[in-house]
Amino acid sequence: MSAGVAAPERSARRRRRGALPTLLLILAMLAALYSVMPLIWAAASGLRPGTEIFRYLSPLTIWSLLPRHPTLANLHVLWSGPFARAMTNSIIVATVTVAVGLLLCSSAAFALAVLRFPGKHAVFAVMVVSFLIPFDSIAVPLSTLFRGFGLQNTYTGLVLPGLGNGLAVFMLRQFFLGIPRVLSEAAMVDGLGWWGIYFRIYLPLSRPALIGAGLILFVFQWQAFLWPLLIAPAPEVHVVAIAIANFAGEFGVDYGEMFAATSFAALVPMVIMLFFQRYFAASLATSGTKE
Amino acid sequence: MPDGVRRRPAGLTGRHREWLAAAGFLAPAVVAVLVLRLWPTLQAVMVAFEVGPGSLPSLANFRFLFADPEFTGSLATTALYSVLVNPIQIALALGLAVLLNQALPAVGLWRTLVLLPVAVPQAVSAVIWGVAMRPDGPLNAAFQALGLGAQPFLTSPRQALASIIVIVSWIGVGYWMTFLIAGLKDIPTQYYEAAAIDGAGAWQRFRLITLPLLRRPLTFVLVADTVANFLVFAPVEILTRGGPQGSTNLVMNEIYNRAFDQGDTAGAAAATTILVLVVVAVVSIQFRLMLAKDDFS
Repeated sequence: MSAGVAAPERSARRRRRGALPTLLLILAMLAALYSVMPLIWAAASGLRPGTEIFRYLSPLTIWSLLPRHPTLANLHVLWSGPFARAMTNSIIVATVTVAVGLLLCSSAAFALAVLRFPGKHAVFAVMVVSFLIPFDSIAVPLSTLFRGFGLQNTYTGLVLPGLGNGLAVFMLRQFFLGIPRVLSEAAMVDGLGWWGIYFRIYLPLSRPALIGAGLILFVFQWQAFLWPLLIAPAPEVHVVAIAIANFAGEFGVDYGEMFAATSFAALVPMVIMLFFQRYFAASLATSGTKE
Repeated sequence: MPDGVRRRPAGLTGRHREWLAAAGFLAPAVVAVLVLRLWPTLQAVMVAFEVGPGSLPSLANFRFLFADPEFTGSLATTALYSVLVNPIQIALALGLAVLLNQALPAVGLWRTLVLLPVAVPQAVSAVIWGVAMRPDGPLNAAFQALGLGAQPFLTSPRQALASIIVIVSWIGVGYWMTFLIAGLKDIPTQYYEAAAIDGAGAWQRFRLITLPLLRRPLTFVLVADTVANFLVFAPVEILTRGGPQGSTNLVMNEIYNRAFDQGDTAGAAAATTILVLVVVAVVSIQFRLMLAKDDFS
């Protein structure tokens, strides 16, 4: 083949290679834009006076997306109203769930990964399968039971269903299995009991798995809507998701305030997720999809 | 042998102590499973079949339920919704996974932004989209600017279900994409290199290497996504309450209405029983997938 033929062919291929990545990059940016646009619009609308939310939509300009007269007035109103209470409730419920839930899930995972006892396979299977029954599918009958226990409109009622999480148990157990047995055998020779081995060897070595499991527990509570709707209808125990849904159902709602509230509700989990993103991805990877 | 080492200092009492320790470590989780999952499930089944002292199980609630056009309508709506939403979400998630697994500039940033809606509570996303889809909202402003005319979206029986699908897909696709990206990363690059040497094009590489080797994560996503979509509730409750004309009355909304708006506890229990049965069937597939590569057996 002569150089005269090869040269244009090569440059044509290079040109094609140049065009495809650009096209893919544009697609990736469009997907990202589509994903964040509603959030940006909501956050920007939270900084608008309530009367301006729908004012700059026609014709579409940059002021359709960004606030023309930005103000912090909505935030002041929110923090002096019932929304502050809902935010506090959500933070209390999520924090207690993560702390107690990690203890409950990791101790079960420890028994299933490290200890030897008869019927272990059966216990493991029953536990994971029953926790995999999605909570929402049995929320309605459970709320009847909880009302019978007098747990309606209590923090306990809100927290309890979030404590046991099959995915968290599964993930922690998987991680514990990777910790060499010799460590606990050596500790045992030194006189450490099972509780000590769990608390002083397994937990400190499992930070990434604990963060991953903690994220699962947190997201469950922050996302919850059906359960708080069923068990905590009183305004004093409203969580953020309920407070915002009520906002939207109100007649003559101030949309500026409502969007400021949605921004707060979205910001908390987003910051946590971005901060722990590495662990989050790792926790997804352990849920059994990896070959 | 690790067994010998373990047994020597402790002996038989040590083994019994280990059983006791296991019981202690497991007790809280076992109680949680019993009280929070199995008891309510059993309760729903017993109410549904009218099991009680001196009465035989009866199918009356189920007969009543299936004779009620509202319930059968909600089953049909849920079926239509599932048939549409699951393939759409999985195709989008797969496309995005392949796209955002390429060596593009700032690809980590695009990936994070696509995943961002997952972090937002569903109720919050529903509220935002509800306002965006209002007749005088920004979505219609954009439609009109493009010359497509204003759309009724959630207020029309013909567009409401499609609008719900758009909203839940915006929420969920990034999440399912993450599982598929993890799967793509596990495919050895040598396969692609070998295929490129053999002159395989991009489509052939995707069809003959990516798809077959992505089967496990894809199946997992299919199953988990199907379950998640059976349970969609917040967007429906907040935006349409099942309407207009029952066009978005998905099964969770039907159960909720039955239990609380109509006070039909028995009917709600029967509907819950059906839902749990379907979901458990799907979840046991999921469980087997999770265990397939497990070291337990």
